[in-house]
Amino acid sequence: MRCCSSRTFKRIYFILAVMLLGFVLFAVIPAFAQDVTDQEYRPFPMIGSRNAAWIAAQLHLLFGSFILGVPMFAVIIEFIGWKTKDERYDRMAHEFIKLCMGAFSTTALLGGVLVFILIWCYPKVMSKLSGIFGPTMIFYVVLFFGETFTLYLYYYGWDKMRGRFKWIHLVLGVLLNLWGTAIMFVSNTWLTYQTSPATQFKKLSDETKEAWIESVLSQNPEMTRAEVLEGVTANSVIPLHNEAGDFLANVWEAVNNFTWMPVNIHRLIGNIAFGGSIVAAYAAFRFLVAKNEEDKSHYDWMGYNGNFIALCGLIPLPFAGYWLGREIYMFNNTMGINMMGSLFSWLFIIQAVMIGVLFIGANYYLWAGMGRIEGAEIYARYRPYMIAIIVICVAVWMTPRTLSKISTASELSAMGGANHPHLGFFGLMTAKNTAVNIIILTTFLSFLFYRRSGKTPTASWKGLGNIIISVIFFLGVVSIVVIGIVGFAVPTDTRVNVLTPWQVLVALGVMVVVTILDIFLYRKATTSGTIKWGLMTERSQYVLILLAITFTSLMGLMGYARSGLREGWHIFGVQRDTSVDAFTPSLSNAVNMVAIIMVIFFALVGFIFWLGLWGEKKKQPEVPVEAAVEIED
Amino acid sequence: MKNTLIRVACLIVMVVSFIAFLAKAPAFPIASENLLPWSVWFTISVIVNMVLWYPVMKLVTFSLGVIWFYAFIAALVPDTSTATGPVTELDWSDPDAVVEIGAAIFNTKGQCAACHTIDTSAPPGRCPDLTDIGVNAASRVQSMDAKAYLIESLYDPGKFLVPGYGKIMPEVWKKPIELTKLEIAAVVAFLQSQGGEIDPEPFDEPIDRANIDTIAEALPPLLTGDPDAGRKVFIDQACVSCHVVEGVENPKAGEAIEDFEVVTAPELTEIAAFNEARYLEESILKPHAQIVSGYGTAKIKANGTTYEGTIVSQDNEKIVIKTKAADGTEEEHTILFSDFDEEPVDEEDIVNLKAEGFFTLTIIPKDSDTPISGEIVDESTDTVTLKVGDETKTISKTALKVMMTLTIFDVGETVGEYVSGSMDEGEIVLMVDGNEEIFDTFDVEEAVKAVGSGKKLLIKSPMPDNFPDTLTVKQMADLIAFLSTLTGTTTDETSTDDVGQSETIDSSEQVPE
Repeated sequence: MRCCSSRTFKRIYFILAVMLLGFVLFAVIPAFAQDVTDQEYRPFPMIGSRNAAWIAAQLHLLFGSFILGVPMFAVIIEFIGWKTKDERYDRMAHEFIKLCMGAFSTTALLGGVLVFILIWCYPKVMSKLSGIFGPTMIFYVVLFFGETFTLYLYYYGWDKMRGRFKWIHLVLGVLLNLWGTAIMFVSNTWLTYQTSPATQFKKLSDETKEAWIESVLSQNPEMTRAEVLEGVTANSVIPLHNEAGDFLANVWEAVNNFTWMPVNIHRLIGNIAFGGSIVAAYAAFRFLVAKNEEDKSHYDWMGYNGNFIALCGLIPLPFAGYWLGREIYMFNNTMGINMMGSLFSWLFIIQAVMIGVLFIGANYYLWAGMGRIEGAEIYARYRPYMIAIIVICVAVWMTPRTLSKISTASELSAMGGANHPHLGFFGLMTAKNTAVNIIILTTFLSFLFYRRSGKTPTASWKGLGNIIISVIFFLGVVSIVVIGIVGFAVPTDTRVNVLTPWQVLVALGVMVVVTILDIFLYRKATTSGTIKWGLMTERSQYVLILLAITFTSLMGLMGYARSGLREGWHIFGVQRDTSVDAFTPSLSNAVNMVAIIMVIFFALVGFIFWLGLWGEKKKQPEVPVEAAVEIED
Repeated sequence: MKNTLIRVACLIVMVVSFIAFLAKAPAFPIASENLLPWSVWFTISVIVNMVLWYPVMKLVTFSLGVIWFYAFIAALVPDTSTATGPVTELDWSDPDAVVEIGAAIFNTKGQCAACHTIDTSAPPGRCPDLTDIGVNAASRVQSMDAKAYLIESLYDPGKFLVPGYGKIMPEVWKKPIELTKLEIAAVVAFLQSQGGEIDPEPFDEPIDRANIDTIAEALPPLLTGDPDAGRKVFIDQACVSCHVVEGVENPKAGEAIEDFEVVTAPELTEIAAFNEARYLEESILKPHAQIVSGYGTAKIKANGTTYEGTIVSQDNEKIVIKTKAADGTEEEHTILFSDFDEEPVDEEDIVNLKAEGFFTLTIIPKDSDTPISGEIVDESTDTVTLKVGDETKTISKTALKVMMTLTIFDVGETVGEYVSGSMDEGEIVLMVDGNEEIFDTFDVEEAVKAVGSGKKLLIKSPMPDNFPDTLTVKQMADLIAFLSTLTGTTTDETSTDDVGQSETIDSSEQVPE
């Protein structure tokens, strides 16, 4: 049965692949009939080149994110199962990778489609990029083969490598993640280079420094070398092209451009959050259609773990995003201003809505989950306050900087300006940063309550421990608020470089210290209740789906921002976009496009999940409906 | 069966309204004057589907609903796009169309709106608010009309900085913004339309696009000097008494210097890192031409009190000045421009009002009895343009009534139109309330003749006026050469963030925004 379902699965997938390729060929063939001489652009039929590339790239990225994120926690879960000898973990990790297998082919297929579209529609851009990044593209192919074969070995060798060979299997899992991360890092070089084709002076080789000086001198024959180097410091931004657009540097310098590492880290964390949320959504779907209690309890448990993983990724994500934003400002101040204060400023209000939904949803799910734990009732009294804090903080985060674009003249007159007289200062970054750090700490507190539910600490210092933890929380929040208030009074430079990093450090510090204390405090805790897996409400499962869609939409939206920042350039400041699409589309158009991509993505994901269901052996985990609380931590 | 039909119908409505909403299709008419937006159709169908359908379809509905919700939110916020077609020609016969193109470029490709506002009620942006810039531009730089000023601001934005604002604007004709000449012309027209009149006359670009780093300047080439000799000049000429340069010791630290007062002047350790040699040259030859924010001195009369000290800051409404009492104690005073006292404008002042620091003026034209009072927006040798309310008025400087204020013993002040006489001649004749009156100078304590009055703010550099005269040509060349070496790189590495913040060069223009 297993073999049969696998074959069916592959066959259907092959048909799907052929259909998709057929569609691409069908769409592209009419365009081939046109003049194929030295063109800068070739139009993609019906929907236009940009939309075609946008859809293919975003879908490829979403699937890629899934297949890179899931193995990261799958291997950790497998390791936990191996160490605790709890088969449930091993089975769940296996199930995760099974989802990955289905998505892997689609990712590759979409990658191929994207390359076709780019080569066909944007030949000169691709020529320019491949001219610079040729060696990395070869490296990418090698990595891709490594990833593919390792994934096959990892998945198909799961049962064969049980027992004493399990460690080899785990090594394969780690290797799979290394390949995957490397693939992402390599492909990130190309797109980050398009945004920030420059690096700092200190990162340049002597040859490149020399080439840059020569290029400036050839542009300005009246200058001397000393004059060229006047005012240049180690951190000065040096373009990697001359005025004519010729590449001056080596491949590594192009790879190590301004935004490469921040994007790498941001995506790495984002992949974990996204992968976790999709897995949780899958579990929610299975929970909702489950026919028996056994299935329900299994998918409830799986959904909880998926959401937990998503939360683990979500919490540090704003910090990584902040770093990326800061690097963009450092690369090009105008680009940074455009991002946060001008062209894309309202996009970040929508981002705040989405992140607000994520945090409120994640907290709601945790609170709903406490309903299935005996003894968790004692924490229920804190919920109204926590809800109030999160809602207020989200409201602060969503406060626009100015209301001039959405207010009538009489409203502006009544307010006495474009800022609301009382709430206007919430629109400043220092208020928003304060709000987001408090949301993160509140979410962490929710998790802490969840973790403590049904347990009674036996440590002799439990009273003191709780007081210390409370004081740490209190001081942390007060520090964050005070730093936020000081932020109103200091220059932007100080706020960005000093105060905000301190706020982040305080929030992270509170979480790390409290986690360590709590682990010790509850090390030998007695269990006063059990988790009744499967007793979750249907509403909570919809929340998991809401979170997955919101994560996906957020990724699409941020993709638009990252790409849109280039405005009329394929490579910012180097290769101008002279096509009919040489502009940044409006926010509503972009979100509509993201919505279309979401529909396609979830349709494909749904199809893949359905395929998984179709060929699935009717055998479900022997997860006890009631499990001891300790197990799930 | 009935339920199934409702379900299927609602499913179809949901999908259709979702697509129609994204496609921004016109609302669906259910009556000629009653249009139901697609968002309402969608919401209704989602609710019905969530109630009636099975779990899987509920999930599909819910997912579509969430996706739609974000699109709906995005449709509510202001739409911003950088979509502007290429500008191939400007039809000057239709100035409104040119202004529209200019506005689009201002808000999109030009990225001007990222920093500039055109809304006095908006919070201060990173760069000056451009409300009424079409008029105000004429008053920014002497002998430069509004259009010339706007053109210079776009091609060489660092040349003149509005007080209180830093040197952050990029040259928009260069990469990455790279506006074409036509696009810049459209932006200039748009800016002129902000309170001023559009001048369709074509202009010559002050740049050579073929050699984009060359800005046409009619200045002679810089002299070459010896930095080491310049360092000696810097010390010998007592520059070091006021200006700090890291690594340069002041041999007379603490000693009183004859001829001038030792004041706190800008540190010059990194002066060349952010300024061209031209700026250094100008700072020596014309110390008052551009004054670094917080270092200029001024004498202000307000509310009957005279304040003399260093300018700390200023904005559109007020100025902060730091005064130093005889005992050395310092005090900061915040003075509103509206509180400035009116000072008499005599026949010499009227020739060049801006050079004298006047920014408002009250005058009576010869053919009128009504005084005209307003902000000075433009000036030539013979005329002055005032902003009176929302209007601008250009008045001849030579056709003004000359007024005289007499301070008479035991009586007080009498003001009238001057007719004849002087303190030396024994009598003064004035027209007071339409009657000619003769005043015996024996009773007059003081007689002040003026063609008008105005508020003035004259910011000067504390550098001695005669400083350039104390240097030989060689010394000046050496001094510039020495200052050009002060990039700060030998002592410390400056981050790119610091670069943007470190030096704010302000102008000595006195007219408040």
